[in-house]
Amino acid sequence: MTGSGPRAVSRRGLLAGGALAAGGALGAAVAVTAVGSDESATRPTKTTPVAEIGLAVEPFHGTRQAGVATEPQAYAAFVALALRPETDRETLGRMLRLLSDDAARLTQGRPALADTEPELGLLPARLTVTFGFGPGFYQAANLDERRPPSVAALPAFRIDRLSPHWSGGDLLLQICADDPLTVAHAQRVLVKDSRPFATVAWVQQGFRRAAGAEPGRTQRNLFGQLDGTANPKPGAPLETAVWVPDGPAWLRDSTTLVVRRISMNLETWDLLGRTDRELSVGRRLDTGAPLTGAEEHDEPDFNALGSNGLTVIPDFSHLTRSHVTEDRLRILRRPYNYDGVPSADGTADSGLIFASYQADVTRQFLPIQRRLAERDLLNEWTTPIGSAVFAIPPGCPEGGWIGQQLLG
Amino acid sequence: MRTNTRPRPAGFLAAALAAALAAAALLLVPASPAAAHNSLTATTPAKDAELDMAPTEITLKFLQKLDPAFTTIVLSDAAEQKVPTSEPVVTGAEGTISIDGTLANGTYTVAYRVVSADGHPVQGSYAFTVADPAGAEAPTPEPAESSPAAEPTTAPTEPGSASPVAATDNDGGGDGIGAPAVIGGGILLVLVAGGLVVLLRRRRSTT
Repeated sequence: MTGSGPRAVSRRGLLAGGALAAGGALGAAVAVTAVGSDESATRPTKTTPVAEIGLAVEPFHGTRQAGVATEPQAYAAFVALALRPETDRETLGRMLRLLSDDAARLTQGRPALADTEPELGLLPARLTVTFGFGPGFYQAANLDERRPPSVAALPAFRIDRLSPHWSGGDLLLQICADDPLTVAHAQRVLVKDSRPFATVAWVQQGFRRAAGAEPGRTQRNLFGQLDGTANPKPGAPLETAVWVPDGPAWLRDSTTLVVRRISMNLETWDLLGRTDRELSVGRRLDTGAPLTGAEEHDEPDFNALGSNGLTVIPDFSHLTRSHVTEDRLRILRRPYNYDGVPSADGTADSGLIFASYQADVTRQFLPIQRRLAERDLLNEWTTPIGSAVFAIPPGCPEGGWIGQQLLG
Repeated sequence: MRTNTRPRPAGFLAAALAAALAAAALLLVPASPAAAHNSLTATTPAKDAELDMAPTEITLKFLQKLDPAFTTIVLSDAAEQKVPTSEPVVTGAEGTISIDGTLANGTYTVAYRVVSADGHPVQGSYAFTVADPAGAEAPTPEPAESSPAAEPTTAPTEPGSASPVAATDNDGGGDGIGAPAVIGGGILLVLVAGGLVVLLRRRRSTT
């Protein structure tokens, strides 16, 4: 009896606690609604029905590959494959015909050929599969002279702590969708069909806000910063920054992709006050506005001085170091967050899958990266642990396959 | 068992006191990272110095070694106009700027922005005055027009550069939280001590 007494009490306590918690939750919900109605003037109110998210389709066929200028989906898997040693130009052709067919079907909401889970292929949720060719791909095809010169391993930077587990790769499959199950299924199908030709070098899985949660907003990274404010605007600026305008068929309408895994040290970032965080970024954390402005997209004034004579935006800020004004020098950032399992003591394994598209790595990415590596204060809390560069070949028409201009 | 119950209040008191002290110590913790930050230790000319000869260079000495890539030292006059100087030359924990021309009589503000070994930015400013009996008077400072873009609203509060004579050293940067935490912790300590006195007195009166 002595044992059951306290237990009964604790059960009653639990029940009471549960009722209280429910009441609290209700109160909180009411409070949230109230706040929501206050902010309704500033918040986008358009919501997308969930069923529409699942059925939404991005085109696969076209002069350019999808998944670059496409409004970023919520989930991504970057799958890098290492070609088997005996792979040659002819084998690569067979592989890409097969993988293009898988992608063409899955992105349109149809199961792949011999799909073992056909039901998982029915909700594309804006699935895109973007193919990228690493330097080793051109070597295997014996077509190194057709490799865009800037598609090569990046030079080593002082800040790099690269791991081979997250670096290099001959063929990249960038799989993006607004539904994680769709991404998982597409990854499974494509990896399975790649087996005769390649092994998996690395996979990086990432996420952004859920579809429809913040439509049209710049994404936030796990430091809480808006990430991608300086992207070229859709239209002529993006056209100039991202796509190769001319050249032979395998180059025209192509682009390049730099994927870098950036570990973010949340433990030391936590020790930084808000003011110091904003000084290191050069932007406000809430609005993303430069420290000299009021709105996210205000042009920063690097010469503005405070009353003490110091520049308002420090010259070591990430904004100062990464700033470019010409569209032909901009990069299109399309990053995803990653959040691994914390260690036993709670140390986070978090960071960013940095993914940038640019017509030319040497002209656009490298100068920015050099300036950042040299002096960006944000380097104190970020460490590049993976790096890979790929050519993103042009798209293909219906009935065609990715890589046909190069290998065909 | 009565003998056991008597010491208990004392034990409870000690435990409560320990807990309160621990809480106070925890409150003080946010201030401790600031201690690891870089800070200004000495300057030439000194803070608030009145010089009868215009200096040709300014040297700031810090607690920690400076990284030249992250060291800014600027000089401005009473009208908040930047005075032309060299870029800072860094030697160990010291940074020096050379003044291009000859400073006219007047009050000047030296501002610095450096980075601690742990990456935390540290900035601040101080003033000195040139009063050379044979020197030229600086033009009367214009009433400082406040351009909103130039006001760092989120930057640590700089001591009023509008009245540079009163300007004091400010280690700005991340130290902002430090002082309130210390004060808060101090208040708590006083409260704990007060409580302790009351409790001890009450105990003494009961025995």
